[in-house]
Amino acid sequence: MKGILAGRIRHGWFCCGIFLFCAVLIKPVQDRLEARVGGPGQEPDLLYFSSPAVVKKMALGYDRLLADFYWMRVIQYYGRRDEADKRPVRYKNLSTLLDITTTLDPDLLDAYRAGCLFLSEADPLGAGQPGEALKLLDKGIRAHPQEWRLWYDKGSIDYLFLRDYRAAGEVWREASRLPEAPHWMEPLAAITLSQGGAIEVAKALWEKQYRESNRADVRENARNHLLSIQVARDIWSLETLLDKCRARTGSFPASLEALVGGENARHRIVDPLGTPYQYNAATGAVSLGPDSKIRYLPVPDSYRQSLTTSN
Amino acid sequence: MLQRVFAIARNTYRETVRDKILYNLILFALIMILSSIMLGRLTLGNEDRVILDLGLASISIFGMLIAIFIGIGLVYKELEKRTVYALVAKPVHRYELILGKYVGLLFTLLVNLAVMTAGLELALLYTGHIGLGGHLRVLPAVFLIFLSLALTTALALLFSTFSTPALSAVFTFFLWIIGHFGRDLQNFGELTKSAPVGRLCQALYYILPNLANFSLIDNRSIIGSAGYSKSIDFVALAGSTLYSTLYCAAILSLSIAIFMRRDFK
Amino acid sequence: MSVVEIENLTKDFSVGFWKKRPLRALDRLSLEVYQGEIFGFLGPNGAGKSTTIKILMNLLHPTSGNARILGEPVDRIPMHQRIGYLPENPYFYDYLTPAELLTYTGRLFGMRRSELSLKVDGLLESVGLTEARDLQLRKFSKGMVQRIGIAQALINDPEIVFLDEPMSGLDPLGRMDVRRIITSLKAKGVTVFFSSHVLPDVEALCDRIAILNKGKLQEMGALEDLLTVGIEAYEVILSGTRGEALEQIRKLCDEVGSMEDRLRLRVANRERMEALLDFVFAQKLELISVNPIRPSLEEHFQSAVGRRRSGALEHGT
Repeated sequence: MKGILAGRIRHGWFCCGIFLFCAVLIKPVQDRLEARVGGPGQEPDLLYFSSPAVVKKMALGYDRLLADFYWMRVIQYYGRRDEADKRPVRYKNLSTLLDITTTLDPDLLDAYRAGCLFLSEADPLGAGQPGEALKLLDKGIRAHPQEWRLWYDKGSIDYLFLRDYRAAGEVWREASRLPEAPHWMEPLAAITLSQGGAIEVAKALWEKQYRESNRADVRENARNHLLSIQVARDIWSLETLLDKCRARTGSFPASLEALVGGENARHRIVDPLGTPYQYNAATGAVSLGPDSKIRYLPVPDSYRQSLTTSN
Repeated sequence: MLQRVFAIARNTYRETVRDKILYNLILFALIMILSSIMLGRLTLGNEDRVILDLGLASISIFGMLIAIFIGIGLVYKELEKRTVYALVAKPVHRYELILGKYVGLLFTLLVNLAVMTAGLELALLYTGHIGLGGHLRVLPAVFLIFLSLALTTALALLFSTFSTPALSAVFTFFLWIIGHFGRDLQNFGELTKSAPVGRLCQALYYILPNLANFSLIDNRSIIGSAGYSKSIDFVALAGSTLYSTLYCAAILSLSIAIFMRRDFK
Repeated sequence: MSVVEIENLTKDFSVGFWKKRPLRALDRLSLEVYQGEIFGFLGPNGAGKSTTIKILMNLLHPTSGNARILGEPVDRIPMHQRIGYLPENPYFYDYLTPAELLTYTGRLFGMRRSELSLKVDGLLESVGLTEARDLQLRKFSKGMVQRIGIAQALINDPEIVFLDEPMSGLDPLGRMDVRRIITSLKAKGVTVFFSSHVLPDVEALCDRIAILNKGKLQEMGALEDLLTVGIEAYEVILSGTRGEALEQIRKLCDEVGSMEDRLRLRVANRERMEALLDFVFAQKLELISVNPIRPSLEEHFQSAVGRRRSGALEHGT
């Protein structure tokens, strides 16, 4: 009699069969569904809770853990360019997310320091909300009044994004009085207050960031700014020379190489990453080559003044 | 086979629809919907949206609670109270028992959803802005909620075949929460540079129930917001239905396999 | 014809949390039940009676061995269509009424509604529950629950019924009712397999019995035969005898007692009985009756099972 045991085994195999069949089909169905609906499916910019106070209440004591999740969410929200592209406003909720994160854990310095950059950078790199960035930094400073780095960042935002050189200088001067402030803070404040927007100061700020940040995306951003500054300098210098040439000869030179002349005439005039600049001999306009590898970030014209004075 | 399954389903329905917990939960849901009317007043013109959002969320959450609280007892009570003895000795396959209980609970859920949806539609009728089309479009949204509840019930039933009610409730609830963060799990896997962790996260994403699949329809599809409305994507709806069906079938076959092997002492 | 065949059925349970020790509840049990008989399944508590019935009902899976009912392996679901089962300490959905429960059960057997309502009424009457027909089961006494249990076991007109302790919890009237039902089942040709502690009932009802102890079969066979095996003595009753015959008789017998004008004699075995009868006929004494004194089932049971028990007692357990 094989009776009982055989029946059990048969039924067992049948169940396994159904299970495997369904399980295998789930993945393709899920993928097709996602492809059609696009990711999370619903409103991609949905925040269930937009009030930091509410979230803190709901954290039931697990504030710091929840802060970690929110910080991860910020990074994902900011870092996934493809998802940001799908949102009608790319970084609408960024300031709220950062607000919630820092309410849950005011000691998460990275949230202030990197967050202020994410907020300040213009669209499409960031939220384009330097005002929000300042509010965030102020919040951080309230929590950590002795942390000079936050003051420094605040000044940087004023300087680089809001172009409010006076405010930047004053913030840095305040900061220089902090017990742990580095020695260069005071001269930096002084120069800024006296000279206003200077390309050298901007360059120094970006260089500092490039050297010191532990975040790859921040470093890359700083590098792009530095390269852009270099490009701006190049183009302004070239434009100055072009104007002088026209003033002298009445027309623009045939090429940039001819303009520069001398032993450099043989070499193409290239941007810092090696792509030749584009030159329109008729209008005398110089710009980055279309295939340039540099991601150009706008440099304020006010820096040009400081350039000519130092040139 | 069907007659037996439906006999068991009908009996299960009779048992669960009289459960007191049910009435409490429905009451709460209706209260939520009522209060949404008052909250709506505060938004000055966005009433419909608030009522819809809050109403659908209430239906979803209370539906989930019903599914869990009744689902975890489905098999467990039979075993505890030994009513299963007389049942198994009948010409009933064990899988028919599981299926019958599952279908019975689905019926109960359907009835409850109908009551809660009626409450919601009445609330929307009261504010009077959304028109017949809007009222009709609420139904696919509730259907999606039903699909997610079918999944939740299957999970509760699975745990009920081998675990105590308390643990079953915890596990199912836990999975329901995780089910909403599937995408984040995937992102987490991509963000960490470690390949094995990434693969693990990817695998978990498919294994764990992905409840985001049932959030396709929200107020933008039902009433549309200023200048921006989204039409209902019926193909996606079919896809979600397929997903729910497959997932439930897989979980049920597991439950059946476990139930078949059990000794009833 | 065998309706139930059990071959070397063994069931081990794993007990213990970390290291699973097997507890052998049934040890190579083999028995057969024939069609149309009432089969009694006896044993002390924990002997494995319920375990056996549960395996037969496909509630438990055996560790090894085989069991067949009506020629089919016990996990063949269609076979369950033809059998009825009353569990030990039954419990049914307490929110149902007897009528609802029987209807539900009937539907599980695939019976149509039209034939069901008539059947339900008939069954309720035969178990004496017609008045409580629409009362929820949660309000039933134990005896009433037992009765509805029997009813649901019979709803499909089974060819064989398995009753696990059908008399438990019943008062004498209830037990009489159950006895009546069982005998009427036999009259209809239904095989009845029941386990019980209540030996007088078994003695009164069963054709064959099996005695189980600690998972092992101790004895099995027709009640008649088993009880004949241990015939202890014979009782011979004579009409009044005097004088010398009486003296002779005293020598031939083990015990002599007088009842009015009769003599009650007791002889230890068949030979002595035959010797006594020879004497009686030779002396032309008046013989009133000769009766074998059988051990009661209770005594038989005790000897079959109790040997070990008394052993245990001696050791002071």
